[in-house]
Formats: sequence, C-alpha cells, structure tokens
Amino acid sequence: MIPDRFKGLVFPAAALAALEIWARSVDLHSDSLAPPSAIAAAFGLAISDGAFLSATRDTLASAFAGLIIGGAIGLAFGIALGVFQVFDRLMEVTVEAVRPIPSIALLPIALIALGFGYRMEIAIIAFACVWPILILSRAAVQEVEPRLMEVARALRLSPADRVRKIIIPAALPRIFVAFRLAAGIALIVAVTVEIAINPIGLGAAIMAAQQGLQPDLMLAYLVWIGVIGYGLNAGLNLAQRHLFGRAALVGDPA
Amino acid sequence: MTRLLAAAATAALLSAGPAFAQNKIQIGCTATSDCASAMLAIDEGIFKKHGIEAEMVLIGINSNIPAAILSNSIQIGGPTSTVFLQAADGGLDLVAVGGASVMSPVTNNNVAAFVRNGITINEPKDFVGKKVGAPGLGAFLHVLFVKWLVEKGVDPRKVNFVEVTFPTMMDIVKSGSVDAVLTGEPFVTRMTNAGLGTVGARYAAELGRTEPIIFYAASRDWANRNADTIKKFRAAIAEAAPIVNNDREKVSVSISKFTKQPIELVKATPPNRSEPVLKPEQLAWWIDIMSSQKMLQSKLDLDKLILK
Repeated sequence: MIPDRFKGLVFPAAALAALEIWARSVDLHSDSLAPPSAIAAAFGLAISDGAFLSATRDTLASAFAGLIIGGAIGLAFGIALGVFQVFDRLMEVTVEAVRPIPSIALLPIALIALGFGYRMEIAIIAFACVWPILILSRAAVQEVEPRLMEVARALRLSPADRVRKIIIPAALPRIFVAFRLAAGIALIVAVTVEIAINPIGLGAAIMAAQQGLQPDLMLAYLVWIGVIGYGLNAGLNLAQRHLFGRAALVGDPA
Repeated sequence: MTRLLAAAATAALLSAGPAFAQNKIQIGCTATSDCASAMLAIDEGIFKKHGIEAEMVLIGINSNIPAAILSNSIQIGGPTSTVFLQAADGGLDLVAVGGASVMSPVTNNNVAAFVRNGITINEPKDFVGKKVGAPGLGAFLHVLFVKWLVEKGVDPRKVNFVEVTFPTMMDIVKSGSVDAVLTGEPFVTRMTNAGLGTVGARYAAELGRTEPIIFYAASRDWANRNADTIKKFRAAIAEAAPIVNNDREKVSVSISKFTKQPIELVKATPPNRSEPVLKPEQLAWWIDIMSSQKMLQSKLDLDKLILK
C-alpha cells in the first residue's frame, strides 16, 4: 500500500513516465518540448552553475517586496473601508474602477517611468496584490461579530484601540487567507513581468532559454517555478495553522 | 499609446534630476546576430581600448527597446528600423547613433517564407487566403513580405497574418496551425531537415535591398550629453564590424555567448552583415514603404533621426 502522503505523487510520476516514453517513441523534433530526462539533466546543470539560484533570488525578492508593499496598502485601506462606512461608499466607484485594470497592462508605462529592474517589477506586483487583500480584509472587518463591536463601544475604546484590540485580532485569520491568495498572485505576476519585459529572474531565464532554442532548460525553469509555488503555498499553510490553530480553518475548505 | 508613453517618458526624464555623462553603457539587443559588432567589441576588448565600459543586455522583444532606452535602463539599443521609426513617429525622442546590421545578398538568402507540407506555393498570388505567421506584425520581416507582395501585384489584405515567435515556429508549422511562416536561419534549415515543409519564397533575396535591419539608437537627450562617449562608441563599432564580416569563428563565439544559442547552431548561419555607417537615404526607403503601408502618421524629419 502507498502511504497517504505519497498518493498525490502517483499521478505526476505516471504522467512523467508516459511523457518520457512518448518523447522517445516519436523521435521528438521540437523547440518547445523536451523529454523529462533531458529536462532533469538541464535542471541539474543549471542548478550547479548558480544561474538558477540567482534567477530564483531575483524573482522571489521582487515577489515578496511587492507582496509586502501591496499587502500593507491593501490592508490599511481594507480596514479603513471596513470600519468607516462613509469612507467605503466614498471610495466604492474609485476602487471598482481601478481594480479591474490588469496589472500587466501597466507594463509599458511602468517601463518608461521606472526602467528595468526590481523597482518596476515590485511596483506592478504591489498593484496586483493591493486588491485581493483590500477586498478580503474589508469583508473580514465588516463581518467581525457585532457583539464584539458592542463590547468595544461599551468599553469606550478609541478608534485606534478598536482596530488594534478588537478588529484586527478577530479578522486576522481571514486576512491571512487574503495574504495567501495574494502571495500566489505575486509569484504569477513576477514571472509574467519577467517574461514580458524585465530582463531579470526566472521569467527572463525562461525567455532566454526559449530564444536560445533550449526547450529542456526552458521547461526545467517552468518545473522549478511550479516547485517554488508549491513550496510557498505549503509554507504559508503551515504558518497559518501554526499561528491561528482552529481559527485557520476559516475560509479554507481543505 | 506611444504619445502617452512619450508624455510619461518626458515626466520620467524631468524627475530624473541632473544627469551626468557616463562611461559605463548598457547596450540592449534581442537574441539575434544583428548587434554582433557590439557583442564582439565587448568580448575582444575593443570598447575598453576606446575608453568605454560596456555590457550587453538581452531584451526579449524588440519593440520594448525604445521604452528601455527612454527609461535609461539601457543607454544604447538595437531596435529594428521599423520599431525605431514607429517609436519616432509616436513622439519618442530617439536618435540613431550608428549602424549595426544591413540586408545583404548573403543574409537576404537566409530569409524565407517557409510553407508547411500540404500547401503549394508556385507564385506570390498563391499566398492569398493563406494564414501566414510573422514574428511580429509590423516588424521587419512582415513589412518586407508585404512590400514583396505589393511589388508582385498581390493585395496583402487578402493574406491572413498572425504573430508567431521564432522559437515556436517549428512546432506551430508542424501542428498545421499556420500555412506558412516568415522566418530566417537557423529556423529554415531546422524545419527543412525535420521534413516539415519547403521554402515558398525567398522574398528578401527577390527584393535585393541593402538597407539597415537594425541600428544603434539612443535618446536624443543622452546622446547630446554624451557626445564623447558616442564618438568612442562609433569608433569601436567601426573597428569591430570588419571582424564580424570576416571572422566567422570569433563572431560565432560572441553571438553564442550573448544569445545563449548553442555554438554549433550559430556557426551554421552567417551573421547579418555589419555596417557601422548609417546613411539618411537608407532610412528614407524604410520611411517610404512604412508610409505606403500606413504604419506612420507623421512626416519624419530625416535630418533629425540620425545623430550628426
């Protein structure tokens, strides 16, 4: 019997084996596909020469910086909109008008204004991360148990204390779910910006490998991004359970 | 859109504060052999000999080069003639500072409309109704092909053009998603060897032109402030160009190093001819054909497009 924790690996392993057999049987001539064994070899080579690690560092540094900046802005506005109904109504049209703009559509202007490098990428990631955190933290604050708010009123807490002592602790598990969601978005946007324009990080490495007609290396980077995404989500899941215990189950069907 | 970019660029330049003449320059090019003179000048220490420190930056898409220049991410870039003229037409204040590559009999022969198996092209009008993949709509190979169609009396509007990037051409031709692709070497040989189809037309060879493919460009503001650097850059490129044209071994190493393409692949194809001097009449031809294809809206002043 396969232990439960390894059951999830059965499908990827079978798919890889099938791909390898298929690639060898059809004598693959392709600039976009490569057999898994060639991808593994390219992976090993790239990891040993350091290029993999510096590209990973660039992408993750941008993704985290964008996530922190966008998260902080989204959280501040989300709490403010959740607490002050008037402010929420005042900003409704603005938020709903700006939110649907795809962050990638800002690329041409961001490139001219900020140039290649971390600054441009972080700005675009931050823009993408503001919205899920803003919307979910606003909802989290609005759904704080009304009796807790009554207690805050009875204790005559100042607005700052109300946010600090009642609202944030009560809404934190949901806010963390928003943060997890935004972390995934940050990684996706980081790689997309690099593929489209920015000559740093894993996305640029994918483009360089593709243009260098090295599909095995290109796919090795792709697999590596999948591994990073998986690791990021697993890490955040762990942190969520560790930090919030049973409350972590809020909004998480798993 | 380009006008909006121009406004943003002006704002960015104004907010950049006082700028200083710089000796370290970044040269941005796509993964082709066109900027081989700059690649070689770095590898052979020619820039250094002329007192310039330079590095190459690999840019994924050529049409990003004007914006990269204006944001000062790169100081000199290698846009194609079409990208440069469209950017200048849109109001971006760019200026050509030196020649990189030109069309030549050898390299024109590398360009082809490669047709997939099952499609027969006997004459230009056979392209009517076909789906043709170009590496970029309005880009170098597309504009040349349209010019060729017009010269052959075929209405280009009756050909369906779609965008297909170079690295995906082989697989897209194999899948039959397009009937033909506008491409060059090493892709023509690779697709021919894989038995995916045949060359339908050598349109660049039939046009037989010698105008620039790519040239070095900078922002006018940077070029004016760095006249001495430009002078040294031109001298270094003029020294590197004959090596590009005559020493296949050396230039292949430099191209492979920059583009990350395997050296055997690079060696199999002659690099595009390097021509360090850029003449106004060469740009005039591009302006004419781009205007006739309604790709330019304004009247461009040739005297201002090339730095004296």
